[in-house]
Amino acid sequence: MIAYLANLATLASIFGILAVTLNFMVGYAGIFSVAHAVFFGLGAYAGAQVALALVPDALAACAAAALIAGGLSLCLALPALRVRGEYFVAASLGLQMVALTVFSEAKPLTGGLGGLIGIPQPRIFGVSVGALPLSLAALVLILLAIAAMARGSFGRTLQAIRDAESAAEALGKHVAVAKALAVGFACAGAGIAGALFALHMQFVNVESFTLEQSVLVMAMVIVGGTGTLLGPLIGAVLLLSLPAGLAFLPFIPATEVGAVQQIIYGAAMTLLMIFRPAGLVGDLSRGRSAA
Amino acid sequence: MTEAPLRCEGLARSFGGVRAVQGVSLALPAGQVTALVGPNGAGKTTLFNLITGNLRADAGSVFLRGRPILGLRPWQVARLGVARSFQDLRLFTHMSVRDNVLAATERSAWFWQIGGGRRARLAAAEAALEATGLTALASARAVDLAYAERKFLSMARILAAQADIWLLDEPASGLDLASRLRFGQLLKDARSRGVAICLIEHNLDVVMELSDRIAFLDQGRVLAEGEPQAILRDPRLAAIYFGERPQEVA
Amino acid sequence: MDLMLVLQLLLGGLQNGALYALTAAGFALIFGATKVFHVAHGAAFTLAGYVFIYAWNAGWHAAIGVAAALAIAVLFGIGMERFVYRPIQRHEGSFFTVFVAAFGVSIVVQNLVGMVAGRGFASVDSSLSQGVEVLPELFLAPVFWVAIGTAILLFAALTLFLSRTHAGVALRALAQNPDLLRAYGLSSSRLSILAFALGSALVAPPAVLMAMTTGLNEAIGNHVMLLSMAATMVGGIGSLRGAAVAGVLLGVAESLVLLVLDTQWAEAASFLVLFGFILFRPTGLFGVVAAK
Repeated sequence: MIAYLANLATLASIFGILAVTLNFMVGYAGIFSVAHAVFFGLGAYAGAQVALALVPDALAACAAAALIAGGLSLCLALPALRVRGEYFVAASLGLQMVALTVFSEAKPLTGGLGGLIGIPQPRIFGVSVGALPLSLAALVLILLAIAAMARGSFGRTLQAIRDAESAAEALGKHVAVAKALAVGFACAGAGIAGALFALHMQFVNVESFTLEQSVLVMAMVIVGGTGTLLGPLIGAVLLLSLPAGLAFLPFIPATEVGAVQQIIYGAAMTLLMIFRPAGLVGDLSRGRSAA
Repeated sequence: MTEAPLRCEGLARSFGGVRAVQGVSLALPAGQVTALVGPNGAGKTTLFNLITGNLRADAGSVFLRGRPILGLRPWQVARLGVARSFQDLRLFTHMSVRDNVLAATERSAWFWQIGGGRRARLAAAEAALEATGLTALASARAVDLAYAERKFLSMARILAAQADIWLLDEPASGLDLASRLRFGQLLKDARSRGVAICLIEHNLDVVMELSDRIAFLDQGRVLAEGEPQAILRDPRLAAIYFGERPQEVA
Repeated sequence: MDLMLVLQLLLGGLQNGALYALTAAGFALIFGATKVFHVAHGAAFTLAGYVFIYAWNAGWHAAIGVAAALAIAVLFGIGMERFVYRPIQRHEGSFFTVFVAAFGVSIVVQNLVGMVAGRGFASVDSSLSQGVEVLPELFLAPVFWVAIGTAILLFAALTLFLSRTHAGVALRALAQNPDLLRAYGLSSSRLSILAFALGSALVAPPAVLMAMTTGLNEAIGNHVMLLSMAATMVGGIGSLRGAAVAGVLLGVAESLVLLVLDTQWAEAASFLVLFGFILFRPTGLFGVVAAK
């Protein structure tokens, strides 16, 4: 029982990181991506390789993951953000679909369809650490970083760009750089979540980085609400508890549980957008007005 | 004689077959208010867009303190000292009044501002709020403000940006008399500080009261330029302004 | 390089390209007229295709199947407009909410189809898809001509509709200036319904033809969605003609990629073309540069 709860808490922290970083991109900067799972995967593979090939140091794994995920995201972001927002969405959908093939084919790096196994337990400077305290610490640090940025000049810049991009540019803000930084930071965070995931599960494979996973993270952000810092975290906890809840319903055959979950995520997203766009926690102030 | 801080020569831009701006040359001297008047569709806002880099010019050049700036991106032009307001305001709707103005003082897109001076920026923001009478509303959200307050918030952003060239697009439209007078005082204070101001304005009372020079635009061309009295008394221009077009080829 | 192979792949690419051109035009029509980024367009395709397969397997005449596919596509489009987009646009209507809502629907449809019809490959066997050897080692099935012919016919009809009929011209006006329309008393909401109906109807023929050839799977909606979005952007936002041409281009690119890579890299082709255009020509092939 303890192990079960510890596992759930660890996963909640990891997905919490995914949700709050995606919210940073979508809610603060107004940049929509359906490819967050790709950077989750990049970080997981990077962290796994560091742990397997070099040293199972959690800090090293997270650093490598952040660099690779964040850096590669800039390759996507810098060109795509120069133009309209719809381009970034389309490019991210394409990226998510292509990534699956890339992950499956790059056997030396990702272990192909079989994935990477036998990832050692995490340590910090030689001392063994549990995955739960590690993930929790990472979550708290990332939350603090986002809070600091949101309240400071960078947060203001992003919100200004989100609310009135041309006016922000007319005040001297370099919009493309600000957006790219937001994307880079958010995807680096997703990468860190990936490294933690690899160290916790001690096994990674491509199944965890599909479009369905990106949809799950999106649903967490939407259900929790984009207007607040902690909303996505609540969304993460709620949606992670869903499979356990579904297991109690006898009429769903085991093979269909995944599909039923996805249907619930999709329906939740649509219904919330129609009836309560602010999500369960967020404040009702989203939306354009003639100000 | 010192050269005007902003000067454009022979600017031209067409959209398909429509010549929105043709051969416009204009100088904005420091410490003076130049008003752009003319019927709707005359190309006034397009001219602003060409200067700030929001639109690419087909021909011509723009000199900012002697330096050619055509082809620079809007954020680069802004950082060189040009502040611009919009007809539809484009406030940062979900941010507070104070944050709107603070954002105007922060140029760098990086995680922190280059060249420190946080206290100086805060001071500039507070001063801007003070000058526009918005100090009491500093924590209110932009989207919750009344019409006149929104216009003043737009001006507060311009003030906080501490630019020395202002391009204002119908800043006084829809303001009641008291607000207009307050607005006029803002402009006069800026003018005496040496700011070069260019104003697109339809309200001729405002134009008469505040401008030192007028440029009359129609169909993308500067038809006349000079003292406010002379321009506004010209019957030919009045006819164009009110919709009658002379039969001869312009 | 085997010339016959290249030719075969080229023809296959053209065939697919014709189908993609139709779906892309549907998406571009909806986006142009209503400014809604209709991410559930792929779901309309999925529904149309599977309904056709169901009708075929139930023994009904092909014409009934096609009609059913058409009906469900149009109903879906109109339903989305009425029950999802319109309520959202009434109180909020930002890109975010519209996108998320549409995306949610496409997830639901994809998984429902997977649960009801089963996962994996689904297709129908028809004489139309049987290849005939026209040249040594070059096979062409009648469906090739059907696909190209249908595409050309539908485009001609669409062009005529948009330029000659009252409703069509009004649709184009809606794309240019929605406010002006209201001033003239034309109902922009009725025109929106028309745009969705027409745009969604355009997915039915391609869905039917694809069911007869390469086959479908429950995730085909994502593939179609990516292609439609990419084609609309590569073709240039604001140009139906561009979306269609880009659709053909993407179909051919997807096919020619097979010369060097395996089939699972098909998506990579679309993505690379899209990314290439984003880098070098963001306005697309025929894009109208909007003045800011």
